[in-house]
Amino acid sequence: MSVRLPLSYIPVRSAFGASTRPASRALLFALECALGIMAVVLVSALAHWFGGLLSVSVLLYLLIVAATALFCGFWQAVMVSLSAVLMQGYFTTRQPPANLAVNPANWVVLLAFVLVALAVSRLSASVARHASEAESWSEQVRDLYEFTRRTLEMNLHIEPGPQLAELVHEIFGLEAVAVFDAELHKVYSAGYWAVEPQELAQNAYYFETSDDDAKSGLGRRVVRLGAAPIGSLVVRGGTSPVTNDAIASLIAITFDRYRAFANESRIETERRTEQLRSTVLDSLAHAYKTPLTAIRAASTGLSEMGHLTEAQAELVALIDEQSGLLGTLTTRLLTTARLDAGEVKIHATPVGVASLIEEVVASLSDRVASMKVVIDIPDDDLVVPCDRQLMVMLLTQYIDNACKYSILGTGITIRAVKVHAEIIFSVHSYGSVIPPGDRERIFERYYRSASRSNRASGTGIGLSVAKRVALMHGGSVWVTSDEVEGTTFFAAIPASVQKRVS
Amino acid sequence: MKQNVIRILLVDDESAIRRALRPPLIELGFQVADVSRGEEALQMLHAGAFDVVLLDVNMPGIGGLETLRRMRALAPRLPIIMLTVRDAEEEKVEALELGADDYVTKPFSTRELIARIRTAVRRVQAPARAEDAPIEIGQLCLDPVKRVVTKRGQPVHLTRKEFDILHCLMSRAGRVITYARLLTAVWGADCREEVEYLRTFVRQLRKKIEDDPSKPLYLLTDVYVGYRFADAQMFLEETEEDETRPNLPEEAS
Repeated sequence: MSVRLPLSYIPVRSAFGASTRPASRALLFALECALGIMAVVLVSALAHWFGGLLSVSVLLYLLIVAATALFCGFWQAVMVSLSAVLMQGYFTTRQPPANLAVNPANWVVLLAFVLVALAVSRLSASVARHASEAESWSEQVRDLYEFTRRTLEMNLHIEPGPQLAELVHEIFGLEAVAVFDAELHKVYSAGYWAVEPQELAQNAYYFETSDDDAKSGLGRRVVRLGAAPIGSLVVRGGTSPVTNDAIASLIAITFDRYRAFANESRIETERRTEQLRSTVLDSLAHAYKTPLTAIRAASTGLSEMGHLTEAQAELVALIDEQSGLLGTLTTRLLTTARLDAGEVKIHATPVGVASLIEEVVASLSDRVASMKVVIDIPDDDLVVPCDRQLMVMLLTQYIDNACKYSILGTGITIRAVKVHAEIIFSVHSYGSVIPPGDRERIFERYYRSASRSNRASGTGIGLSVAKRVALMHGGSVWVTSDEVEGTTFFAAIPASVQKRVS
Repeated sequence: MKQNVIRILLVDDESAIRRALRPPLIELGFQVADVSRGEEALQMLHAGAFDVVLLDVNMPGIGGLETLRRMRALAPRLPIIMLTVRDAEEEKVEALELGADDYVTKPFSTRELIARIRTAVRRVQAPARAEDAPIEIGQLCLDPVKRVVTKRGQPVHLTRKEFDILHCLMSRAGRVITYARLLTAVWGADCREEVEYLRTFVRQLRKKIEDDPSKPLYLLTDVYVGYRFADAQMFLEETEEDETRPNLPEEAS
């Protein structure tokens, strides 16, 4: 529904002549009087020629007076009344006009005419005023409707202030508009302001003034969202107080929608950036696979063929070892990329804790071969509802980490116990102490403690994967570390299935 | 150990991988023919005889899995080893279900690949074993008729299901048995999804047959795919070469 309203709409207050020029008013007045008088003369002439009409001529004059009062106004009707009394005197008594004033009957007739004119013109004016008010209301409602529609269609990618000021100015036909956005601390104005609108709008906000000054036509409103003031509106023109209230409410809603929209698009942008990064990581990792396979096949092929000197064999072993490292890194990148992109969906099934840990240790056997690994699970039948593949990732990370950083000759202890409603996995080792300031941050992606970065190979990715896996299960991760007790990485997983809240 | 020259058909679309594998394999006494497409590989099989096929899963054209399906139709007993990538466990399982003998995960070491080739070829060339003959692997011996398992000559007490699992794995030693196949063989097709159930049994079984259940030597896990019983040859080589390293297990990501 699109109702295009004429912009030349004249507000209610100026409907009563303030804007009409005096010269044309006088002309109109004279014209109306002349018409009335001509009607009176016509009736007199008819009454004169047809003698029968003479007795009812007064009634006919009265009709003309009433009609003039109804359509033209009181003073026009008074002029017509005067002429009617003159005509009546002239045609019935045939006396010169000077003598008419002496006859009291003429005064009574004139008084009666004037009273009728007064009554009819007042009634007519009241009806006209009501009609015009109703018309003006319906127009304001239509304007408000139009304003609402336009704010809904507004482009929320840019700040709404300038658009709102322009819209209010245009739709309600105001002289001047100023909108203050408290959050951005900006005043937007439209139309002609004789004074600087900045201060006007800001004061309305800071002093919380909401009023209407009929004399200056100035309306001020605090724009509120709920109870909280978020800006202000100052208008100069003919809108009614109720309309001003409605405009202020609509501005509040638009400000709110803009903030919500901006917030939403910020989140969306972040998500897209993350997704793009994941995609890049993913394709990079895939692109690395083939060259890595070729390098590994070549280096291991060389050592398989034999006939290498000791130095050559050592170099070939180095190539093999480093390409293996690169392969592991690539795989981890892939895993993280997928976890980050939200491509991994959690499939929780009951998983036997003992077999889970044993399998992870078995899969890391080349790493843990030289270490003493103790698996301590007090309850042999402990079951955890989890995504097995993801939990393997978490535990692999913890155990791998423990191998990497533990002091040569010390052992690793892997525990799983049920504490209240959680199953707590822990991997304990003796190694360099993690400073308290780092204990939270080592679970962040790409974070590598300055003191550790040159100690062992690592990417700063693995522990963030562990954290993400725990979070996906509705659990948590943490670490304790000191010289005496050693370092223990924990992961708490709820013992009953939980949906991830996010 | 004297044996005939093993003829390998290498199928991989990446020339770098073919170039890296050819020289060492030839140097080590294998005959190698290499092609880059499944279609060419099928033509080669028609033209000449091969002892083993190394088949890449991800290839343009008809792809590795379709090539595998057609090769199986052509040569039911030909050993086929798939070259797969990590994080593609479903592909591995599918390849095994389609009749692949084994798979190696890229990036693999040539040593591991050669071991797999030898195992696969030996299995085909070995004289057919009687169904109910006792199976001896390392220090373990399983008698299918008496339903008795001994370790270093000492009887190991197994439940019926544990024995069935062990029998199923030992009779196909050296090969990966997918979870689904093992579950179907022991419990029936209705239970092919109950992997967690199987894990519990395997855990108990390891406690009984392994020296250190957390570092199994016999009953090995192929992460996300299935189980594999160590090949008898591996234990022989170990004693011959006095090498304590077991078969290279899958690294976990």
